[in-house]
Amino acid sequence: MTWSGEIDRVHIGATKQEGGTRSRVCTVGGAKNLPFLEGASEMPLIALEICDDTGSWSPIVLAYTGDVTRDAGEWAKKAEKEFGADLVRLHLTSTRKRGFSDVRGVRTTIEAVLQGTGLPLIIEGSNEPSVDSEVFSACGEAAAGERALLGTAEADRYRSVAAAAVAFGHGVIAQSPIDINLAKQLNILLHEIGMPHDRIVIDPFTGALGYGFEYSYSVMERIRTAALKGDTDLAMPMISAAADSLNIKEVREAPQEVRDETAVMWEFCAAFSAAVAGAEIVCVRHPRTLEKLKKGFAHLAGEG
Amino acid sequence: MPVVTFLPSYRKVEVERGTTVLEAAQKANLNLNVVCGGQGKCGKCVIYRQSGETEFDREKYALFFTPEELERGASLACKTLVLGDLYVEIPESTLIQEQKILMESKAADVPVLPSVTKYYVEMSPPTLEDPSPDLTRLLWRIEKQGGPSVRKIFAPLPILRELSRTLRENNWMVTATVAIVPGGYRLIHIEGGDTQARLYGAAVDLGTTTIVVTVRSLIDGAILAVASNYNRQIGTGEDILSRVNYARKSGLARLQQLAAESINRALHSACNMAKIDMDDIFELEIAGNTVMTHLLLGIDPEYMIAEPYVPVVRRSIYTTAEHLSLDAHRTAGVYFFPSVSNFIGGDVVGDILTCGMGEREDVSLLVDMGTNFEVVLGNKDWMFSCAGAAGPALEGAEVLFGMRANPGAIEKVRIETRPFQVHYETINQIKPRGICGSGMIDLLAELLRSCFIDRTGRLDITSSNPRIRQGEYYPEFVVVPKDDTEIGKDIVITENDIQNLIMSKAAILAACYTLMDAAGINKDDIGMIYLAGAFGNYLNRLNAITIGLIPEVPVDRIETIGNGALAGANIALINRDRRNALDTIAHEIAYIELNADPTFMDRYTSSCFLPHTDLSLFPTVEKMLAECRLRKEE
Repeated sequence: MTWSGEIDRVHIGATKQEGGTRSRVCTVGGAKNLPFLEGASEMPLIALEICDDTGSWSPIVLAYTGDVTRDAGEWAKKAEKEFGADLVRLHLTSTRKRGFSDVRGVRTTIEAVLQGTGLPLIIEGSNEPSVDSEVFSACGEAAAGERALLGTAEADRYRSVAAAAVAFGHGVIAQSPIDINLAKQLNILLHEIGMPHDRIVIDPFTGALGYGFEYSYSVMERIRTAALKGDTDLAMPMISAAADSLNIKEVREAPQEVRDETAVMWEFCAAFSAAVAGAEIVCVRHPRTLEKLKKGFAHLAGEG
Repeated sequence: MPVVTFLPSYRKVEVERGTTVLEAAQKANLNLNVVCGGQGKCGKCVIYRQSGETEFDREKYALFFTPEELERGASLACKTLVLGDLYVEIPESTLIQEQKILMESKAADVPVLPSVTKYYVEMSPPTLEDPSPDLTRLLWRIEKQGGPSVRKIFAPLPILRELSRTLRENNWMVTATVAIVPGGYRLIHIEGGDTQARLYGAAVDLGTTTIVVTVRSLIDGAILAVASNYNRQIGTGEDILSRVNYARKSGLARLQQLAAESINRALHSACNMAKIDMDDIFELEIAGNTVMTHLLLGIDPEYMIAEPYVPVVRRSIYTTAEHLSLDAHRTAGVYFFPSVSNFIGGDVVGDILTCGMGEREDVSLLVDMGTNFEVVLGNKDWMFSCAGAAGPALEGAEVLFGMRANPGAIEKVRIETRPFQVHYETINQIKPRGICGSGMIDLLAELLRSCFIDRTGRLDITSSNPRIRQGEYYPEFVVVPKDDTEIGKDIVITENDIQNLIMSKAAILAACYTLMDAAGINKDDIGMIYLAGAFGNYLNRLNAITIGLIPEVPVDRIETIGNGALAGANIALINRDRRNALDTIAHEIAYIELNADPTFMDRYTSSCFLPHTDLSLFPTVEKMLAECRLRKEE
């Protein structure tokens, strides 16, 4: 089957030659066919998610990962050297606290992570309109030249993150609530305020397995087939993070001895399926999920 | 009993203690604005207590008032109880104003060929040589004067009982009124002398909220008066569903009575204006939605509101005024427009008749806009229809400063960016009090063009323009600063208002595309778009396209037909051939149930964008918006 469309290529990370400090550049997109078929893009990339305030992070992940979780820079280093992540996704969870004002701290964290790893970076900023502008501009500036991916733009608050991305040469994650039309609309909005198509990554929003994942799956499929059929407003790579996977009842209430395994399998199933549906980047939190996914993708590609 | 005095008119009324001020006002024949039917939900029936004792829960309804207003004694008439003698001031904004109602010229150039005719006849009395019966003598004379033949006219028993006396008392000089009814010709009245000049009819738009009546001469078709009145059923519930529920709780007779009273009130005013006797009205044409039609006929609508949604009847119905307690001649024929389905009623059939789309080869798209909208697509050979809920935003409800098309409503808006200036026009050129539907469509289009909102309708709060600000709950745009308004408050449009408007327009646009896709046609195949509905008369057509209320066609292919139900009833009133065609038109329209169409939701979401997610459907708007963005960047 030949399709008329092609997915835009988005580059994340900049090496020294390109004005950054990353040891490599991740390129996602370029697919001319559905995933894992001939003409599909490269193997899906796996981002390990870390954060700067572990208050709301899964205790399972914290226990497994160990003391480095107290220092985002060290955590990022371990993600690269020990766990083998392709990218690091830094959640600035400190900005989600009530009365947040420590914008300097945000800069310091980003700088530490950039020091800790040479991997390309995804930075998730605040989630509160009153501080968005300040936080995103700090994120953009602290990572200037690194061609990071900034998140998250949504239809009702995309201006701050897009402004920072445009000003400092980063890409943006465009998240919409599991709806192909809303995904398209957000891409248009971003484009209309000056965001080039090849710096947008679609996050169609992923529910945890058993908690709406099937909706996410079919929306990803629809987005991808629409793009391959020639809809340029949807022809961007996709990122998927079933972030709730580790907090669901089945994991929380699993018997102690199988809890770790349950958590990993739950994360794995959603991330793996998302890649099958078309996601170019899947994000996970448990290092063992990452390991499993690598094997799974290789297997699916006939390399395992 | 306490006496309530209403200022500034000093109208007085005596009521029971514990009556609401609203009921007292109604008793005093003051029409207050009660959009919600007196449930304390709409906040429109504001009154000011001058003196006297009342009961009103100020905290519960605080959201409708500023502290200053409460200080001045403001309360809601529907929730204020009269506890003793009382003086209340009713501000002008609380009274229902005559809405701008235009008689469409479309209905004016229809040949006059009414269903009722009067014949003045002079007969010779019977003799032994010519002993033919009274009736034969009368009918024979009618035939001689160009009327229908003797055998074709049916004379009902009540007429026969009066006949001999009427003929003899009037010296064999009488006027006979003959109507065309479904069974043929019927002699409906006979009176002494020559009254041929006094033959009138009324066209009635029976709306859920408003009733409009036109009184016309059936001799030359002249329009003598137009009058309107709120549908008094509003007191039993604002929307159709609550009316049906009221009917189910054994309130059917009451609803029938209220509908008849509402029409009668409008008829009274129209006849007063026209200086004619209501007894000379011999024909009424009624176009109403299916539920309203059932209710006025006193037919139980219960099975229409639940699956599988069936009405009792959809064909046209003919009865007489006395059966419905309508104030016309008691034998006057009352003709009800046929319906297509529950949701496509006689009002829409009236629109179709008015725009004439059922008589032409080229394809027309008809959109009747209101809280509930109806869309019809087709030509003389085929028609598809659908209906849905658009919400009341385009009619001024659910929008902070929204109002009906009453005096003081902003109906036109233009925004200049360099230098920045907001131009607007109000109805009757008085200081603005709010914004009506056409003003909101202009506003949305202009905000989009000036790049103050994005295509989801969100205001650019980062803009340096002081008219854009964070309101109490939502970002807002100041349309008119308070010093220039009648109400002493800034007139704003909030982001929430804009969202409501976008949802309304999206439902309508998605319905248009659903029908177009069902018929396999695109926007270029549409010969004409007809817009009917309350604000159809004043709509800026280019702006309606700019926001994606309707598909993009060249503006000269868009025509507003205003109140199509009323215009249609008028056409049927003065031309019996057109009236006869109605059943055929209605019968051949296919109805598409949007709820059963899985693609509708997709179309709706992609229409929740200005003008639409897919700009290739709106090439002119695409070009215009690109130019606007360029201009902004300069």
